[in-house]
Amino acid sequence: MSKIKVDKKSWLISQSELETWLDGIADVRTLIAPRQVSGIMLYRPVAKSNEISWKGITTGSAYAVRPVLSVKEIFFPPTERLFTIQKTGQEIHLKETYPDWETVVFGVRPCDARGAKLLDSLFLDTNPVDSFYARRRGNTTLIGLACKELGPSCFCTSVGGSPNDAHDVDIMLYETNGGYLAEAVTEKGRFLIPGGEWKETTVSPQPSTQTGQFPVPDKGKWPEIFNDDYWVKISERCLSCRACAYVCPTCRCFAVRDEVLGPGQFERIRCWDACAGENYRRVAGGHKPRAEKGERLRNRFYCKFYYYPEQYGLGTASACTGCGRCIDVCPVGVDITEVLMDLEKPT
Amino acid sequence: MNENPMLPYLGKLVEVRDLATEIKLFRVEMLNGGGEAFRTFQPGQFAFVSAFGLGEAPFGIANASGRGPSVDFAVARLGSVTTGLHELGEGDTVGVRGPLGNWFPMKQFKGKNLIVLGGGIGGAPLRPVIQHVLDHRADYGTLTILWAARHPSLLVFTDEYDEWRAAPDTDLHLTVDSPDEKWDHNVGLITQLLEKLSPSPENTVTITCGPPIMIHFVTKMLQEKMGFAPKTNYVTLEARMHCGMGKCGRCNLGEKLVCVNGPVFNMEEVGELLETFL
Amino acid sequence: MSYEPRIIAFLCTWCSYTGADTAGIARIKSPANIRAIRVPCSGRVSPELVMRAFDQGTDGVLVLGCHIGECHYDTGNHRAAKRLPILHSLMQFAGLEPERFHLDWVSASEGERFSRIATEFTDAVRALGPVSWRVTPGEWQAAVESLLPPEEQDIPMTALDCSGKTDAIRAKAKELLTSREVECVIGYEVGPRGRTRPVFIYTPEETGRLVWNPDASNNLVSYLPVKLKPKGKELPKKVAVVVKPCDSRAVNVLLAENQFTRDQVHVIGVTCEGMRDEGGSLQSKCITCEEHTPVVYDTLIGEPPVKGLAVTVDRPEWLEKLPPPQRMEFWLSQFDRCIRCYACRQACPMCNCPTCLYERDDSTFVGLGIGLNEKRTFHLGRAYHLAGRCVGCNECERACPMNIPIGLLNQKLAEEIEAAFDYHAGLTVTPSPIVTVLSGEYKEG
Repeated sequence: MSKIKVDKKSWLISQSELETWLDGIADVRTLIAPRQVSGIMLYRPVAKSNEISWKGITTGSAYAVRPVLSVKEIFFPPTERLFTIQKTGQEIHLKETYPDWETVVFGVRPCDARGAKLLDSLFLDTNPVDSFYARRRGNTTLIGLACKELGPSCFCTSVGGSPNDAHDVDIMLYETNGGYLAEAVTEKGRFLIPGGEWKETTVSPQPSTQTGQFPVPDKGKWPEIFNDDYWVKISERCLSCRACAYVCPTCRCFAVRDEVLGPGQFERIRCWDACAGENYRRVAGGHKPRAEKGERLRNRFYCKFYYYPEQYGLGTASACTGCGRCIDVCPVGVDITEVLMDLEKPT
Repeated sequence: MNENPMLPYLGKLVEVRDLATEIKLFRVEMLNGGGEAFRTFQPGQFAFVSAFGLGEAPFGIANASGRGPSVDFAVARLGSVTTGLHELGEGDTVGVRGPLGNWFPMKQFKGKNLIVLGGGIGGAPLRPVIQHVLDHRADYGTLTILWAARHPSLLVFTDEYDEWRAAPDTDLHLTVDSPDEKWDHNVGLITQLLEKLSPSPENTVTITCGPPIMIHFVTKMLQEKMGFAPKTNYVTLEARMHCGMGKCGRCNLGEKLVCVNGPVFNMEEVGELLETFL
Repeated sequence: MSYEPRIIAFLCTWCSYTGADTAGIARIKSPANIRAIRVPCSGRVSPELVMRAFDQGTDGVLVLGCHIGECHYDTGNHRAAKRLPILHSLMQFAGLEPERFHLDWVSASEGERFSRIATEFTDAVRALGPVSWRVTPGEWQAAVESLLPPEEQDIPMTALDCSGKTDAIRAKAKELLTSREVECVIGYEVGPRGRTRPVFIYTPEETGRLVWNPDASNNLVSYLPVKLKPKGKELPKKVAVVVKPCDSRAVNVLLAENQFTRDQVHVIGVTCEGMRDEGGSLQSKCITCEEHTPVVYDTLIGEPPVKGLAVTVDRPEWLEKLPPPQRMEFWLSQFDRCIRCYACRQACPMCNCPTCLYERDDSTFVGLGIGLNEKRTFHLGRAYHLAGRCVGCNECERACPMNIPIGLLNQKLAEEIEAAFDYHAGLTVTPSPIVTVLSGEYKEG
């Protein structure tokens, strides 16, 4: 386990110091932060720190709202161009296009940062390296914001996370009375901190909270219950939409297709997809594996807690960060915590 | 290897010919560095072929690399990408991404008798196995080929059957579900033919490829009726794929990905999978 | 060189295409901007094709068919006459200038008429300048202060005692399951987090889970098409479903479309005083609702309330008053947030195509990507497909995780259908007026 802080210093800053600092960052980089957009909170570029939805993310003592989409959309956007295709007669010319900007993301909760780390094990740590994800990830600095406590649908502590876990961000901020405690977690984060201007402190953040835990089935249990008709029952209400997968910080299935740009001009794009869709696995001959809703919903849970960890070497950890977004967006109340608790019940 | 694993190599179609009804053989000569990537590939591997402007799809490589340098693909016209490919002719450019996937452990098969069972276009990924064995004939025991299709017009590689038959210790048995007037070989399902031949499991491995239901019944018969150990029955499976390299998550059968942990499996591994391939 | 518009014209083989030929033979000049696409009949011009033409950058679309009463296929042009104006009002609502899309009638001998219509249309489109319908990715940026709909009336829900209805639903479910009249009762339950959600009850003992409360908002009819579909030769067993008045209209629409038969479902209709939104106020769809009793039921639960709220709210009106560029800006800023999760589509009972037209394996009608153009096409196309079929349950808007007011599109089209055909979806078992042409529907002339 890597040590959390890159140097032993912490800084205490006020709200206005934070805003000034972010304004400065926004001048030289693309700053992305939680912002209110038509009634919901999303990670969006901000030109000035006063565009950030401060009330939504830092409120007195109560847990505040998190963006509907996770930071996944910054590294792995809903649609991405892989290359352009120029067709002239029998000749083909391909041209790669890569994203080019330096980004700083502010307000990243530990669960979101953990999600990015989990996606790294797939896109970066498993060959071949995904060059698009790698570029975006390499060009981005994460400024985390610890949660003071768990929210109504949060369960990070049950899946190995914690509301103030700083492991996966570059800088971590902890709300304190009258301001924030700041720590540099990585070299990249240290680089952004205006060390000379900020007040150093020896105060350390509160230890990780472990409240609200409930037991989650360990990996060995999942193969045993695969054929249980529980999966049919629990999926009856599922609509096979994809909202849960799209808001999830770690779901990463994508589809690839060529689209027309103009005469003889095409682009190959990849875009989000999810195993919930009925035609997700349809093959050319017409055969549709996982035709039943129960099989599809089961696949989503198994992928999260068994397949993904097995394929990408997560050990005993699951690929779920406990952020609770899937619970919030499901139109029909499918609840991942309910499923996990049901599976742990003695039969 | 490109920095961008999704960027295909360009390839020129040096030959396009009909193999069977709505099935064509594409012979691709690799360009721009693809030649290096495809200098050696193993029987059982696959590649993504792009019909630029429509998309790409995975196809089993249908020749042994020793018979290169070009790469063969057998393409049945079923959807938008394959229709786009069928509209191309010699001289046109396609994209090729690969070689991907695992392969038949030909080294482990040395000294053993081989039974190759191909159903319809499922014969295409088995052709590299046959070619490899024929090119290294002394390394392997007897080679028995069971080749099936629904109708004689759907049999693939018909012009190579003589070459296969002519090789030493090599038998070719053909069967179709419904014959035409000129047909004078077996009539019936491949399982019926297999039952007639009733091969012994002694020092033998089987390699099967075809529609999932055929794989299921053939391997079932081999194990239940003829006593083959599941470990000795190799198959190559298919699934819908979009990246072919273990990123997009689509082709999983339970905890295994067909593109990375397959497409070649033995039936013992398949039996342990949580999800069925059917 | 000054701007010359590119115009796609759909011309029918039998009349207008021949009319164009006639113009050519008679050496009557027509603008060179017209790129003709010959179709067998103007009725074949599906709205998805028109939208695709605009998506791919055409400046104007002209559809010319035979005169009414002269169609080679009898009623093909009737279809065009019914459908394309609905599409036109939808695209106008989304910010397309109305002059860019025109439907007219030209017969085979009317070369002059073809030329005149083509010239007038081209001139009108030229005057508008290049079209701005298709957005170049990366060039459009959402304004920080995007146009927002006016604040909706906040009508708090009065406290209701639903225990009577809850008990009645449970009793009825128990009776139906015990007598084996139905295999399953689809109703509402309160989940472990206190959220009301759909539940499938199969045994009399479990009926205690069923509830009725002001959060019972899901449209349970959306489960029926799949639940009642025959599997091979096996006919599925009968099912009971709890419906509100808006949901009950969906039953009629699906019956009219042969998704299932009346005897396959036992409808437990419940009278409704309105449903609550997340803030505890009356949902916007309930504010203007005038039907508090289901229109179809086998069992009725509850006493019909005497009067509604007598509040009129025309949600689409404020948008109609804005000029086209602002309308387009509004919709683009809304669809910008869309992630194409299809929650809206899946929540809708009427969206039950085995393969959605906008999710095909090829990109015939819309690209695969989650880009602005594609998302707009999906939503407009889906709204068009629901014209005359949408019952206004607004579950699509409620299911959307990104707060996109897609209900506005459905409401706009419902108003158009009512104005053109005096028709409300789901009041009787008849198909949408633009889905087909009923015999005797059109008289000559």
